[in-house]
Amino acid sequence: VAEGTPEVEPTLVERWLQDQQEWQRTLRAYFDSMVKDDDFLVNLGNAMRGSLLAGKPYPAGGAAAASAPAPADERLDQVLFALNKLQGQLQDLFMTLEEISHRLNGTAPASAPLTPKQRATAKPIVSPKPRASSKPVRAPRAKAAPTRKPRARA
Amino acid sequence: VRGADRGRELEALLELSRRARTKLDRLHDVLTSGGHYGKGATPAQLVYSENKLRLLRLVDDEGKPRVGPPVLFVPAPVSRYFIIDLLPGRSFAGYIAAAGFDVFIADFGEPTREDRFNDLEYYVEGLVRRSVRKVCALSGQPRINVVGYCLGGTLSLLYAALHPASVSRLVLLTTTVDGDVQGGIPWVAHRMGLAAESYENPRLVPAADIKSWFEMLAPGSNSVVGRINDLWDRLDDTPDRLRDVRTMASWVDDVVPASGRLLAELYGQFGPGKNALMRGTARVGERVVDLGALTMPVLAVSAEKDSIAPPAGVDAIRSIVPHAQVLRLPGGHVGIVAGRTAAALWQKTSEFLAATPG
Repeated sequence: VAEGTPEVEPTLVERWLQDQQEWQRTLRAYFDSMVKDDDFLVNLGNAMRGSLLAGKPYPAGGAAAASAPAPADERLDQVLFALNKLQGQLQDLFMTLEEISHRLNGTAPASAPLTPKQRATAKPIVSPKPRASSKPVRAPRAKAAPTRKPRARA
Repeated sequence: VRGADRGRELEALLELSRRARTKLDRLHDVLTSGGHYGKGATPAQLVYSENKLRLLRLVDDEGKPRVGPPVLFVPAPVSRYFIIDLLPGRSFAGYIAAAGFDVFIADFGEPTREDRFNDLEYYVEGLVRRSVRKVCALSGQPRINVVGYCLGGTLSLLYAALHPASVSRLVLLTTTVDGDVQGGIPWVAHRMGLAAESYENPRLVPAADIKSWFEMLAPGSNSVVGRINDLWDRLDDTPDRLRDVRTMASWVDDVVPASGRLLAELYGQFGPGKNALMRGTARVGERVVDLGALTMPVLAVSAEKDSIAPPAGVDAIRSIVPHAQVLRLPGGHVGIVAGRTAAALWQKTSEFLAATPG
């Protein structure tokens, strides 16, 4: 330590002690988060295997899969699968009926804006605000941008 | 002299301690901060759902659908859809929407046990076909643009060949068509026992199995020590950059389980030595796929450093769809879509969709 400046530059020992205090603070923050935040242990576990995967455990290997209980009833899965296929066929039917209905009404199958019913049932998924740090890459609304075709009249 | 050396050693030790602590503090901040991990970045509406599928339509800041030619993104059903819409300002789908298109994204969701029976026909003639149908209905257009990524490109290619009248332009991103080209995920999966997957008695292939195939492809990523070292080095980055890295990691590491029947069928038709697309023998259900029906403009994009879909296997589309434009971009399988240089792909795709007469 240079003479004449002991009050502005702490000694090595003082800095060492300060460093120890900082470590205690860091470790306390980790312990606090482990206790208070259920997800934190999962995220920390992921980090300890080198992953920043958020909110769920890193895909684990065979042990868990091997110990998974056998399906209680294979037939139940097959019934569910058949129901899913049936749901798809019903959706096809509804779409066809909708198209026929629009044709009979003399309107296009659907216009670009959602119908009031669709608007009512449509769920907003995300609405994040761009972060200040992100550098948006803007798409040029170029001259090449296509124009909308006129609606077909059935 | 020895005292001075000791002093310098202690100083160096203190500096090491400080840097390590700073990294741990930064890691703590990252692990405790929120984000939109697992979700898209652009505001969207759910416009159709079926089983685990969600069809999302991007909307503007006022929540209104965009006006423009419709584009349907079809991502791979073995990973999360949000790679297409990763971050504000780094979103492929967001860029295409901003360029004047009405953008839809098919999110296949996470299969559960009963979905292990889902086959290629279920995806192509079921989920993809009905998604296209819904997009046509909502946009009022008889034909739409389809952009398929990776395995989603395979589904899109098969769909477009079976229903060419409903597709105005087709973009295939890092989609392998020649399964005999060595390397990539089909070969690794082959070596890891994909041939043993049963079509008749399928299992739900665990995410960990699929993850292990991808890890085999990325040198070092299957070593826990290597991954920890990488992460430790990354902790020198700024918190914002780390949150970006985390979003990407949440996509890369969050693979979903897959239908064993689908994988068995894909391997049986398109895997090494099978190569049904190149041989013209591909089938979806009972229907033989005629690639000659692909008369719409097609753009196929490969990535120079793609370890998942080797570029030669992607570019081979030239020999089965002669009019296809083939573009090779610098970067890797994920990087060209959502990396720092992804804007090149976005721009090329936008130009292709906009400039080609439908």
